[in-house]
Amino acid sequence: MKKLALALMIALLLVAGGVMAQDDVVLEFQQWWEPELPEGSFRAILDDFEAQNPGIRVETISGPYLTTKDQIIASAATGTMADVVGLDGAWVNVLWKQGALASLTQAMMDAEYDDSELAAQIRLAGETYMIPIANFIYPVFVNLDMLEAAGIDPPTTRAEFAAAAMALTDPDNNVYGWAQPLSLEQPNGIQNDTMSWLWASGGSMLDDMGMPHLAGNEALAGTLEYLKSLHDAGVVAPGSFAMKENEKVEEFVNGRVAMIVNTLAHFTLIRERNPDLNFDITALPAAEGYDGPRGLPYASWGIGISANTEHKAEAWKLIDYLTSVEGNTKLTSIANAFPGNVNATPDFIQTDPLFETAFAIFQEGYLANEFTGLPAAEELMRQMAEPFQYYLEGDIDLDELLEIAQEEWEAIFE
Amino acid sequence: MPYAYLSPTLLLLAALTVLPIATVFLYSLVDNVIVNPNPPNFVGLDNYEEVLTNRKFRGALGNTLYFALVSVVAHFIIGLSFALLLNSRLLSANVKALFRVIYILPWVFTASIIAILWRLLMNPHGVINFLLLEFGLIPELMEWLSDRDLALNAVTFINIWSGYPFYLVSFLAGLQGIPDDLYEAGRVDGGNGWQLFRHITLPQLKPIIISLALLDFIWTVHQFTLIWMTTGGGPMRSTEVLSTYTYKAAFSSHEYSIASTIAMVILAICTFVAIFYVRSQRMADE
Amino acid sequence: MIGSRRQIRLRKALIWLALILGACFAGLPVLWMVSSSFKSNLEIFAYPPALIDSSFSFKAYQEVLGNPESLRFFFNSYLVAILVTICTVLTSILAGYSFSRYNFRFKKALNLIIIGVQSVPPITLMIPYFGLIVWLGIYNSYLALVLTYMVFTLSYAIIMMTGYFNTLPRDLDEAVMIDGGGSFVTLWRILVPISLPGIVAVGVYTFMLAWNEFLFALTLTRTNDMRTVPIGIHLLMGQHSFEWNQMMALSVLGSLPVLILFLLFQRYFIAGMSAGSIKG
Repeated sequence: MKKLALALMIALLLVAGGVMAQDDVVLEFQQWWEPELPEGSFRAILDDFEAQNPGIRVETISGPYLTTKDQIIASAATGTMADVVGLDGAWVNVLWKQGALASLTQAMMDAEYDDSELAAQIRLAGETYMIPIANFIYPVFVNLDMLEAAGIDPPTTRAEFAAAAMALTDPDNNVYGWAQPLSLEQPNGIQNDTMSWLWASGGSMLDDMGMPHLAGNEALAGTLEYLKSLHDAGVVAPGSFAMKENEKVEEFVNGRVAMIVNTLAHFTLIRERNPDLNFDITALPAAEGYDGPRGLPYASWGIGISANTEHKAEAWKLIDYLTSVEGNTKLTSIANAFPGNVNATPDFIQTDPLFETAFAIFQEGYLANEFTGLPAAEELMRQMAEPFQYYLEGDIDLDELLEIAQEEWEAIFE
Repeated sequence: MPYAYLSPTLLLLAALTVLPIATVFLYSLVDNVIVNPNPPNFVGLDNYEEVLTNRKFRGALGNTLYFALVSVVAHFIIGLSFALLLNSRLLSANVKALFRVIYILPWVFTASIIAILWRLLMNPHGVINFLLLEFGLIPELMEWLSDRDLALNAVTFINIWSGYPFYLVSFLAGLQGIPDDLYEAGRVDGGNGWQLFRHITLPQLKPIIISLALLDFIWTVHQFTLIWMTTGGGPMRSTEVLSTYTYKAAFSSHEYSIASTIAMVILAICTFVAIFYVRSQRMADE
Repeated sequence: MIGSRRQIRLRKALIWLALILGACFAGLPVLWMVSSSFKSNLEIFAYPPALIDSSFSFKAYQEVLGNPESLRFFFNSYLVAILVTICTVLTSILAGYSFSRYNFRFKKALNLIIIGVQSVPPITLMIPYFGLIVWLGIYNSYLALVLTYMVFTLSYAIIMMTGYFNTLPRDLDEAVMIDGGGSFVTLWRILVPISLPGIVAVGVYTFMLAWNEFLFALTLTRTNDMRTVPIGIHLLMGQHSFEWNQMMALSVLGSLPVLILFLLFQRYFIAGMSAGSIKG
């Protein structure tokens, strides 16, 4: 009975496999976007693509974001990688090193593609391997009701920010000026809530050769010292060392934190969670006296092609569509993201005043995420987060922190 | 004859585990694999030297042993106490049925949801702090998972909560196998409750206790999701255990050879413990 | 030893007290999970927290149940967990019998090997194991999941079955052997019925593991029609935010049938008790 059931199941599977598409080219597209977007909306875009490209069908393989990188590495190692994959700037390097990604420079040449409309391309050893098609910038979100009650304007410099955070903090009522997630499980708090302060003041964590420049980096030392002063002043929400991005936003939504560095991807969420919350966004404060353009941290949904795909031309067609004015406008409109095509204009930019502000911040600054494309970027963040925690606790001083991190980073870059 | 009974097991294990484990062992002998474009070079025991002399590895080993030993002892005590309670003659069958279901509750959820639930409960603004504060048991909000003095005990507590039902169910089954006349004979000899427990219940359960403790030790050493999703090994490595350390080596630093080496060290530790089990088995035979 | 009535009443009160304290330890966190599944995502993080608040609704349940995908996840989880339980229990009874009742040359070594295969951290095993499954051509199938969970649970199951058989006196099987029954008859007629509580315990353990496993379920499947409940829960953990109440609702829904199943199987604990008394 049991054996029969098993045999039956296997037979069914084989049949199901055999029935699939005789003539059509089936592209597998592995990403984490479909579950992030309103139900059915991502499929609708792919349907549009299929309608315009007869003979190609796209099959989505969707997984949770947190495990997508591990899954792609494992599938590349076992020869089961999908034809087209969603990429994050923090992983592209390791997949490239693994030999899992095809050169997009080559694909563009084969298709005689004009890349002038692309806002950015992630290059490794001179060739493009990832194209960011949707970008989520990280400005500062402020709780306007709390600011108004305290009679404060949204801060624009570090000193103003510290003063505001101080004025807004009220531990007896569980209210804090700022939150800094430093979880070691998801160490992207180092990118979004720590290094972002450096980039906003025009600083860099790398030298001219693109190698780590932490020890002896005065701008970085100043930034970290400033952040420690916020912790020492008690204006940072408790639980920082285990906090993750998704909890930071819940603290903000519940009115327990007045200001956070936060992704624009949270707009809809904040409004859905708490329609009464009166909030605004502003650029990340810069160091006193800095008036250059401000680097804006961002996260991207990037796209790439498997090195082993048998349908490289078709895979490129899909990327071409998703980066075209039409496809990119549709995708970024449902994702509330800034486009990867310079000529695409998602509809929310005109219809939503908050996005208008965000767009202005975006245009005045420049996209800055130095972790994109670095080797083992997540591990770099973690190797920064760990000594940073020791520093905040007072176990080590600033120089020791920078030297430890410098050493760990250099080992990874080797 | 014994081999015939073992054949399905041996076939399955041979087919599905020999190759992967051998591969992991080979990985541990070369300089790098999987994400390295260069062909791997044989480096002998260099990886083992690197791992065993690493300060972070030894810290993780210490945390793992603490985590595993405290968990195993607590699981045993709680599991056995609950099993004895649920076996009491003074309770009606329906009451026992109801409480059996309540007592196995922690077992029916997947590890990641347990981690998320306890993160909510142990949040600085979570319900545990609220209740303790209301009853005046703590002076201020505690950072259970982000204070280095509390975090390891906090995750151990979560693991104790989520793991004891395995013992409970096994002991409940084991207790049913103890013949009533043993107890009757004991009572005739004038034994009290404690003496009956010590001289009848415990010795009768001994084979199960030894099996459970061994399994649970291996199980806890491998516990990954609970720790990873609650603290990520932090703050400041205070909850770093071998499983989180291995994961980071494999999927964050992308040093699969090092991860495989740690895996082999874990295998050695567990086998060492298993030898005691096998010896106890032999004694049971005699 | 049999005390006065007052003593019995006191003992009963103490037992009840312990019973209720234990139930609080085991149940309160779960009660909080249930309560969260009825809250809005805003109220889940509210401070001071409340067990039931104004946001009480069944919305999370409606969204989970309204999604045909999650129903498929449930179906897959049950199918896989039940198949694994049956296969593992049968296999481990045979193996446990062998270890408990026979002495043979490689017994110690085989015992060590069976524990050993369980001692390699699954995370490091994942990639080579994945490669093997792909090579065998069973990637993205129920068969892959069933065989994998059998590998995961067999060691535990065998060790536990050996433990249970070891608690049973040997004169039992010898009596049958003398009557002319073979070892196979002894096993099925005598040992298995007596060990039902142990078998149920092993079955429950196997079911739970197969039901709750995430990493290999994700790695070894590709399409959503093959995926299980734990993956469904993870799909609610977004890149930037979680659907807390839906995750809780999905876990609560997932646990209900398991609890009912356990409630039904409980009577075997009691059945075992009467069988156990026969043997003395």
